[in-house]
Amino acid sequence: MALTGKLAGQVPCITERRVATRIAFQGSRLAARVAPVTRSRVTSPIVCQAVAEYKGDLLNKSYYPTGADAANVNKRWYVIDAEGQTLGRLATLAATYIRGKHLPTYTPSMDMGAYVVVINADKVAVTGKKSSQKTYFRHVNGRPGSYTVETFTDLQKRLPERIIERAVKGMLPKGALGRNIRLHLKVFRGAKHDHEAQKPQDITKEISLKPKNGPGAQVLAAKKAA
Amino acid sequence: MPINRQKILQLASGFRGRARNCIKIARMRVEKGLQHAYVGRKLKKRYWRSVWIQRINAGTREHGMSYSGFITGLKEENVQLNRKVLSELAMNEPFSFKALVDQVRFMRGLSKSPSGQQQ
Repeated sequence: MALTGKLAGQVPCITERRVATRIAFQGSRLAARVAPVTRSRVTSPIVCQAVAEYKGDLLNKSYYPTGADAANVNKRWYVIDAEGQTLGRLATLAATYIRGKHLPTYTPSMDMGAYVVVINADKVAVTGKKSSQKTYFRHVNGRPGSYTVETFTDLQKRLPERIIERAVKGMLPKGALGRNIRLHLKVFRGAKHDHEAQKPQDITKEISLKPKNGPGAQVLAAKKAA
Repeated sequence: MPINRQKILQLASGFRGRARNCIKIARMRVEKGLQHAYVGRKLKKRYWRSVWIQRINAGTREHGMSYSGFITGLKEENVQLNRKVLSELAMNEPFSFKALVDQVRFMRGLSKSPSGQQQ
């Protein structure tokens, strides 16, 4: 398959052609899930050419990424607007992207994920009575009996970033890799963030909805009534 | 038949402390290492199957389908591609993989035509 006219002159090297393939291939709805820029494998934009070009058995040897494939320079950036979003559903989406589980090159032992920027962290919402009942525990002194417990609204007034960081931290793996990829979440209080230069892609639309609020709401309501 | 000392000390290269040099300790650690290798060869097969499944899941979700729906569709059509090859297709041959997902969607009755227009 030929590259589109817009991209033809701009992607000389063989590894960049994979990005061009994906861009030409996916529509705007899927643009958020573009593959990483460099791969340790020789790939081709022409269908079934990758198998011919690869020296060895491409389809029979499972892919394991090299350090260059997992390099931070090649990672994508995404932005989520937290205003009015439910806390847990937003955190799930952020954790999925940071872990790299949205990519077919996912490897559990390496960091193949993306960077996620969250803005308007002070306006994130929780349902039910959680805003007054959800508590955040913190050790103060190291001594027994020395701790503080804050409610959601109090912590949102004091340090709104911590709410989202803690929610996403609970959804990431616990260990050395988990501690490293936690740093790939960047949370900001207002609508401005420091990462304009990385041109993060907006993925707020991909936050999951409760079925009764989602596209099939009428179908569900009709079923329930029947 | 027991392995001789030389072979044991060869297998113990890279071990920590006395376990790489002193035969009495090396013998113990090498025996344990070989047991771990035996178990690991069986675990390796399970580990990789789960990685392939997660990779296929990511690939099919790019096209709006879940891994479970995809696999039931493939089984119904008697497509014999295994998960290893499917995960490699999802990574290296995105057009072919999309065609597979579209075919599954059509065969399961979730779309009108096999060329990938969703219902």
